[in-house]
Amino acid sequence: MLTIALFTWREAVRRRLLIVTVFLAVVFLGLYGIALYFANKEICAHAGPVAQKLFIPQFFTLGLYFGSFIVSFLAILAAVATISGEMESGVIYAVLARPIRRSELVFGKLLGNGLLLVFYAALFLLALFLLVHAVTGFTVSGVAPAVALFCLQPLILLSVTTLGSVLFSTLANGVVMFMLYAVAVVGGMVEQIGWFVHSETMQRIGIVASLVMPVDAVYRKLVRILLAAADSSGAAFTQMGPFGAQPSPNPASGCWFTRCSISPAQSRWLCTRLIKKISGSFGNLPPDIFSYLF
Amino acid sequence: MEVIEIENLTKFYGSKAGCEQICLSVSGGQIFGFLGPNGAGKSTLVKMLVGLLRPTSGTARLLGKPLGDFTVRRHIGYLPENFRYQDWLTGQEVLGFHASLCRLPGPEKRRRIPAVLAMAGLAGRERQRVRTYSKGMQQRLGLACALLTDPELLFLDEPTSALDPLGRREVREIILSLKKAGKTVFLNSHLLSEVEMICDRVAVIRKGRIVAEGPLEALLGGAGEAEVEVELAGFNPRLEQAVAGIARTVQWAGEKGGAGGGEGSRIKGRVVLNKQTDTARLAELIVLNGGRLYALTPRQRTLEDLFVDLVHEKEEAPGC
Repeated sequence: MLTIALFTWREAVRRRLLIVTVFLAVVFLGLYGIALYFANKEICAHAGPVAQKLFIPQFFTLGLYFGSFIVSFLAILAAVATISGEMESGVIYAVLARPIRRSELVFGKLLGNGLLLVFYAALFLLALFLLVHAVTGFTVSGVAPAVALFCLQPLILLSVTTLGSVLFSTLANGVVMFMLYAVAVVGGMVEQIGWFVHSETMQRIGIVASLVMPVDAVYRKLVRILLAAADSSGAAFTQMGPFGAQPSPNPASGCWFTRCSISPAQSRWLCTRLIKKISGSFGNLPPDIFSYLF
Repeated sequence: MEVIEIENLTKFYGSKAGCEQICLSVSGGQIFGFLGPNGAGKSTLVKMLVGLLRPTSGTARLLGKPLGDFTVRRHIGYLPENFRYQDWLTGQEVLGFHASLCRLPGPEKRRRIPAVLAMAGLAGRERQRVRTYSKGMQQRLGLACALLTDPELLFLDEPTSALDPLGRREVREIILSLKKAGKTVFLNSHLLSEVEMICDRVAVIRKGRIVAEGPLEALLGGAGEAEVEVELAGFNPRLEQAVAGIARTVQWAGEKGGAGGGEGSRIKGRVVLNKQTDTARLAELIVLNGGRLYALTPRQRTLEDLFVDLVHEKEEAPGC
């Protein structure tokens, strides 16, 4: 398993996935920092320190939201072809004939990609904190749980995408994962608006969406932790807007965090039952290869 | 010692049979040729044996261990039909990765990688990325990969499909050298002439079932019969009768009426004899009966003849 995990890192470095994403993250943080600097300057000059206390958290959640977007996309793209791509190209045949279990291959890739994403997400969030603090003096508490939750988002997406790459072709998996992500994002926004307009139906739609794919619920929880602790007197205002978190996420979604983070292990049951249905549609790939994955 | 023992191995893809009730045994130190038309189930059998597919039913033992035993995989080499390797790695790195998967100790890894690169004809190209390799070079890399652990048993699925004639010859020589070293090679191939040149035993599979299996000479020799072509002059009814007496079938081509004539009355015939030793007797009978023998050529039945006959004619397979 460790051999596969190390190999996954090597692939990320050699195929320049890591360097490109780090470079783009730097570009993103640079642009965000410039915008934040000028916005902060204008607010301080024309609106005063109270307005600054109310508006800077809004800018902060904006950065946080798009940061989680980047990390989530990276998780999906890193894992979308992790198994299916190797099956489609035929690389997997020579590998699986070696003394290695299918589960070792899948978990090795999961471990390799997972550690890479955790490392990337943690650095990204810390860089964001430091940037916002340096530019505006804004501080947050609860950094440790926030970092943990920020890292959980890509891990959830990674585990579900890895499962998808066992079950579907690369293209189908990509479509399914982006749709699921869209469901989570839209559901989160619908729920957020539902709290403003007191629509129970909209809130329920958001909860159902977070049960299907809990990444947005994780994000809302993260914002809740960071901003409620940051300034309790202005908490209600700072949590407003599409990137805030009016309600604390449904506890049921919380169960999903754990559920999803170990989903490949638990998906064995699902896999073995779906194999016969799905495998026939993979043309010249040996259908039974799926059953060996777990 | 039997290196491969297969009993009633069957694989169904849904309701479609990939292989049905395959029974085979391959002794150590042999080159075993496995033949069959496209889609007959050759690769399915190999994939089951190397652990890529789970059999629907039946059992098999490789090097004395049942299918799925991980310890035995260290001693098995496999070159897949659709050989593809990580194209972002160099040839040497691909071999390094496979050495890690096989948990080869460091010194052995450093010794084996250059050795197999040289054996497969890739020495000097090992630092190039696989994506820059030609198809033939990729197949050579696949062969190097299969040979990496110095395996006792090798499964080569169409090992020369992407190679030029010189490359094919090199691979044939590698396979023969492996045999000399006491290794067993299970060779899936379409190239019948190649199989004929190097294999000790062959099996032919058709529609998922084995339709013939045995030593190559026995399969090609039929039931001891021999076919010869003769060219003679002085053809006469007595000679015709004498030849028919020892032949299973005779076909004459040419003018039979020119008995006792000169060069213009030559006649050709194709004679199938009951046994090979009758060839000398045939020559003797022709001469004794007034014929002048110009040529007598034993015609060797080729593997292609056998293959075409088996693939077109046989409907039912022999059981275990």
